[in-house]
Amino acid sequence: MIPLYGFLEGDTIGLLILAQADDSIAEVARKLQTAARLRVAIEGPVTVLYDGKPVDPLSTVADAGMQPLARFDVRRGPRA
Amino acid sequence: MLGSPRTGVLKRDDWLDLARKLDWDLSYVSEKDAFPEIQSGRPWLPHAEWAGWDEPFRTSYPEYVAGQHAKEASVAAVREAVGRVEDYQRLPQGWLEGLKLHAATLPLAEFAAVVGNLRAARFGRDSAWRSAALLGALDEMRHAQIPLLLMHDLVRWDPQFDWTHKFFHTNNWVAIAARHLADELLLASDAIEFAIATNFVFETGFTNVQFVGMSALAHGVGDKMFEKMVGSIQSDEARHAQIGAPVLATVVKHDRAYAQHLLDKWFWRSWLLFAVVTGFAMDYLTPLEHRTSSFKEFMHEWVLDQFLRSLDEFGLQRPWYWDIFLEGLDNYHHMVYASAYSYRASVWFNFVVPGPQERAWLREKYPASWPDFDPIWQRITDRWRASDPGNDFAVHGTAIVSFCDLCQLVLSNGTPRANAASTLDHGGRRYVFCSRPCRWIFEQEPERYAGHKDVVKRVLAGEAPANLVALVQRYFGLDYDTWGKDAFGGDYPWLARSARSDKREA
Repeated sequence: MIPLYGFLEGDTIGLLILAQADDSIAEVARKLQTAARLRVAIEGPVTVLYDGKPVDPLSTVADAGMQPLARFDVRRGPRA
Repeated sequence: MLGSPRTGVLKRDDWLDLARKLDWDLSYVSEKDAFPEIQSGRPWLPHAEWAGWDEPFRTSYPEYVAGQHAKEASVAAVREAVGRVEDYQRLPQGWLEGLKLHAATLPLAEFAAVVGNLRAARFGRDSAWRSAALLGALDEMRHAQIPLLLMHDLVRWDPQFDWTHKFFHTNNWVAIAARHLADELLLASDAIEFAIATNFVFETGFTNVQFVGMSALAHGVGDKMFEKMVGSIQSDEARHAQIGAPVLATVVKHDRAYAQHLLDKWFWRSWLLFAVVTGFAMDYLTPLEHRTSSFKEFMHEWVLDQFLRSLDEFGLQRPWYWDIFLEGLDNYHHMVYASAYSYRASVWFNFVVPGPQERAWLREKYPASWPDFDPIWQRITDRWRASDPGNDFAVHGTAIVSFCDLCQLVLSNGTPRANAASTLDHGGRRYVFCSRPCRWIFEQEPERYAGHKDVVKRVLAGEAPANLVALVQRYFGLDYDTWGKDAFGGDYPWLARSARSDKREA
């Protein structure tokens, strides 16, 4: 289990997301969106940023090199 | 012989300094041993540099006792007249929730301030400073006791008022944050840092004027007891807050950089707490018809103007994060309120959803930022509309939220578009901070803060439950009767109207 600090664009708070090393980036984004759905609607494509750079949604948490307690962001809109 | 042969009594100004300027030449112990830097603070200077220390009130002990007696009698009279449960039951629900928030954060922090003042009463560098601090300690004792007495009467009606005393004894996340601040500000600081941080920044800059603002709101709402309580406390604060300026003047003269550091650090730490406690009350919990200004307007009128004038007087600069702070005026308390509403079962008071009229008011007061918050409240409104009234957990978050490793508050700085949090690796551990100023404060003295664990680190270490309900009950100390709920169970008159009219107003 890898605890991560997730920040969803449009939300008011950072949330702790518990990911697995083999979770896809898309799954991690979905976990954050689900955790924040009381405040922010789940709609449209999103982009995940790690270290400020877009990450392939099909890659895994391990592939992306996400370390415990790292920050990731989920932004609205497709990956550029 | 002190008396004049004709009158037998000296004029006040002729004898007063005999009672407050009592420094003498030490003979069997050095000045540095009597006033060690670890307790007195830095810069360490010989007493000659402090000998001109003075403050405008110059209160004698008999004057103090007479004045406090009159204040106590006044509070007691108001309590007798309007301090019954039935009097509180007539107040607006939202206001009562703000009262619970204020009541809990106040008394034991004031009690910690007794300790800080007593340290200054012993280790302050001039006897007039020590005399004023001693009266300050007596003030703070009174400020601890008044809310404990007044709110105790309400416990049998509403057990959430029990948190007036219980709050600081719990591991509730707000209590952890409040203790983290109060311990450093009031219990652990030396006399110089206490005078600048507490007397100058916290009291002169924030609490003194905050009490004025909250007293005015209480008057409008009709809460005569709260109005009297904070007015009475404020009259003490206005006096002992004067300790700060002459201490700051001497520190500026000898170590300007340190003075600037203390101001920068403590303005930020004070701001975060006040944004939550006062921002919630002014912009959300006070009924719309009783609001006189927004929290941002209040901050500009009562806090910023005075603070900036003070900086000019001392030749100090605005804190380096001033632009971040100004952005926070538009965002921070809105970020935290929406977040805390979503996790209201983790605190001891109830919340109110801003309705269409409140949202229109907030849009008018915060034109730059409110468009980012309005969709969140629309979504929460929609969720309530789809849920049964009173079914609080249908409109409640379940994920574990994250906390700043400096202020211990939730990671809610920045804006909904760009959260300001960042991580830092230090000493083999990873830390997270809600903002650049919190990170900067940590980096200035990492050894001071590095060992403290926020709630998330406690959960990950197995010291606190990971399950939210268990965390709330077993760790935060709340149960069904005391955990926060929607103050109206989601059953708002405007919510019951047709969805069509609500959409039109929003």
